[in-house]
Amino acid sequence: MRQKKPALVVTFAATSDAMAMERYCTEHNLPGRLIPIPREIHAGCGLAWKTEPEEKEAFTKSLEEAGIRWEDMAVLELWG
Amino acid sequence: MIKYVNAIGDTCPLPVVKTKNAIKELGGAGVVETKVDNEIAVQNLGKMAQQKGYGFKSEKTGDAEYTVTLEVGEAAAATGVEDIAEVCAVPGHKKNIVVAINSAHMGSGHDELGTVLMKGFIFALTQQDVLPTTVLFYNGGATLTVEGSASLEDLKNLAAQGVEILTCGTCLNYYNLTDKLAVGEVTNMYSIVEKLTQADLVVKP
Repeated sequence: MRQKKPALVVTFAATSDAMAMERYCTEHNLPGRLIPIPREIHAGCGLAWKTEPEEKEAFTKSLEEAGIRWEDMAVLELWG
Repeated sequence: MIKYVNAIGDTCPLPVVKTKNAIKELGGAGVVETKVDNEIAVQNLGKMAQQKGYGFKSEKTGDAEYTVTLEVGEAAAATGVEDIAEVCAVPGHKKNIVVAINSAHMGSGHDELGTVLMKGFIFALTQQDVLPTTVLFYNGGATLTVEGSASLEDLKNLAAQGVEILTCGTCLNYYNLTDKLAVGEVTNMYSIVEKLTQADLVVKP
């Protein structure tokens, strides 16, 4: 059965920031993936990072430590 | 004035065409009574009535006979019938959408960006309310359905929803990936051509 699930969506001001995020997360085995930004939200760049909502705290901490720039975070219902 | 149309045995769009002609012959306000033998024809005439503002009444008058009465008022008659769409809408018919992916990158320019865009395109496919029937992969696109592909999870998700994932066998062989196929089935040029020619809509990223 096809179901929508909550996802944490991290947005960026620039495409290069989103791509830097993907590189950083891949290198550091951080969960999630790059997706086109869902229609419900707006940001400077059309790409967003999608991960599990429960990752928010740990994720924010890792990004701050690494100096990765992001714009906003939101929890949305996406097809699983 | 009343006009009678017999559209028993006629398939779409004939009942609509014949009824349109009868309305034209009325030359003004009046009634057209059309006999059809299926519910889809009734629905198509209903759509036409709604579009033009005609009075609409339908009745099952036999085993395979429906009588549709359209009442054309003065105002509706003045707008003519030329703009009535003769669309054969079959309720519940699922559009046969085929997505053809012929490269690992979306668009031309920077390959790094093209890779990110293609990944995004395939993810966005999984987010559509109406999923495609088939996704075809050929040439560089064949590298997306094999082990290690960043789109594998999305493609497996589509396959689990009943989307047919087909990869060109010649292409897998050319790239030495035949034993690495990780989602869907291998296909050949005849099937690729059939899928493309029989599609209602072909989408190429």
